[in-house]
Amino acid sequence: MEDMNLMLCAISAAALDICALVLIIASYRERSTGNKQWKKISANMELVEQGFTYQLGCDEILIGRHASADIRLPDISVSRYHAMLTVADGVWTITDIGSKSGVYVNGNLVKSRKLHENDVITLGNRKLTLRKIADNKKAKKRNS
Amino acid sequence: MIKNPFAYLFSCLFVLAAHGAMLINIFYNGKYDDIKDLIILAAAVLGLDISYYIIMLFFKQYTYTIDFMLLLVLNMSVIFQSCFGGVSFSVKHYVTCIAALIACRFGHILTYNHNWIQQQKKYIWLGIGILMVIILTLTGSRSMWINIGSFSIQPSEFMKPLLVLACATSITEQQNKHKVWKFDIVWENIILLGITGAVCLLQWWCRDLGSIPTFAAIYAAGFFLRICYPKAKFSNKTLIIAGSVVLVAVIIGIRVAPEYVRDRLFVDIWSDKDGNGYQQSQALIAIADGGWFGKGPGKGFLHNVFAHESDIVFSSISEEWGLLYAIMMTLVILLIAASPLINPPRSYYHGTMCAGICAAFTVQMALNIFGSCNMIPFTGVTIPFISMGGSSMVTSGFMAGMLVAAQSPVFRKPKPKKKKSAPVRRRSAA
Repeated sequence: MEDMNLMLCAISAAALDICALVLIIASYRERSTGNKQWKKISANMELVEQGFTYQLGCDEILIGRHASADIRLPDISVSRYHAMLTVADGVWTITDIGSKSGVYVNGNLVKSRKLHENDVITLGNRKLTLRKIADNKKAKKRNS
Repeated sequence: MIKNPFAYLFSCLFVLAAHGAMLINIFYNGKYDDIKDLIILAAAVLGLDISYYIIMLFFKQYTYTIDFMLLLVLNMSVIFQSCFGGVSFSVKHYVTCIAALIACRFGHILTYNHNWIQQQKKYIWLGIGILMVIILTLTGSRSMWINIGSFSIQPSEFMKPLLVLACATSITEQQNKHKVWKFDIVWENIILLGITGAVCLLQWWCRDLGSIPTFAAIYAAGFFLRICYPKAKFSNKTLIIAGSVVLVAVIIGIRVAPEYVRDRLFVDIWSDKDGNGYQQSQALIAIADGGWFGKGPGKGFLHNVFAHESDIVFSSISEEWGLLYAIMMTLVILLIAASPLINPPRSYYHGTMCAGICAAFTVQMALNIFGSCNMIPFTGVTIPFISMGGSSMVTSGFMAGMLVAAQSPVFRKPKPKKKKSAPVRRRSAA
């Protein structure tokens, strides 16, 4: 009887262990699916500046002069941490994070603004355009 | 449509298997007067499992792991709470578990869009203010409860998720530094420090001293992530200063603590077994009695001790189910808190939110478990999801929902708004 009690306790403990393990594996699987889905929906935009293209690969993109910025603009007119690009619900937003020269969208000074395709963002002396990736590829094809 | 149907199916089956194994253990090894009690318990647990699997299908998420872990832990707690001192279905705890699951859904819906929730800053601060006024006016200076009929509510519990949200919102303000004397000061950090200080003072006034470390941990996690924003690294100087401030605060706290707290801090539980050390000594005896595999569900004696289902619940579980099972239960809760490491949040806001929640869960668990084991002073803090208590369960469920939101933010494209057609002007015949 004592052995059986011990065995039952061990079985219920093992079941809990295996369940936790399965949930961890499932979580890893869900992460890769989530990343794919995110890329499909949110990563279809890019920033273009005079021939340079910056890919927007995560939810928050820091733009500034500092070496740790995601998009680095080595220009004295751009603050070290100038602006933050964020995406939620498929909508990109730019927020001024305390820059000296401000953030302009289509020529208007903004603190925070939702962005649309082909909006021109001015940070100091630099001008960046938000474009759809697919359109660019089509243009390249047309050019070729 | 679920993106990973196999992962979902396997998770469902293994959670059911874990609960099934516990119920079989009770059937052969537990103490019950009537088999009906066990059948009701099994039906309730397995019924909740299956119902939640179906309900979850209506929520479009990219990860369901935390939901499954939450369900696993909540139904485990229903089984534990129903077995203390003999098997009988604990309806009250079951209802609070369902409330926690509903709160989890709300937590997810409210916080999954980080842009939207950051715009609600004034409402978050207003919520904290209202709760503080409620505590000041409706609870007494030596009580943390509001009694409404047979229900008791602990309003300070609801302040935890609000403080987490307050610490995470408007993090971009971190860049607006102002030079005051020799220091670069961010006013929002000072305001948050003031709010946390006021909350802690209020807890002191209510004699709910156990909650103070939890609030302090939430603020500390939020503060550290704020001063790191957006990409700066921790400097050793910052860490040394922060460590020194914490040390000084603890020393001052011990010095000015009320007498009954200092008694608890320095009590030798074995020489005062019938006084201040009663609960802890009984809890330690129970853990030793249970051994690795426990006495069997319902066969413990700790249910005779006050707060066996909340403050010393770890010892009650160790006694009946064994220390091994109690440690594994703890690990599953830690896994919920650590899940952002597997599936990292995609925004700084959600990252800060997760850090605050992890800090709250970890500190609460540490205070409860180490307090039961006489490694630190006994505080009377609950273990999230396990201890009995409606306010604690709902708050913990809400915070679990916030973790789900951080790992499953909204990705979908917004539906294009229908353009209103301009009114057609008709020229009059004249």
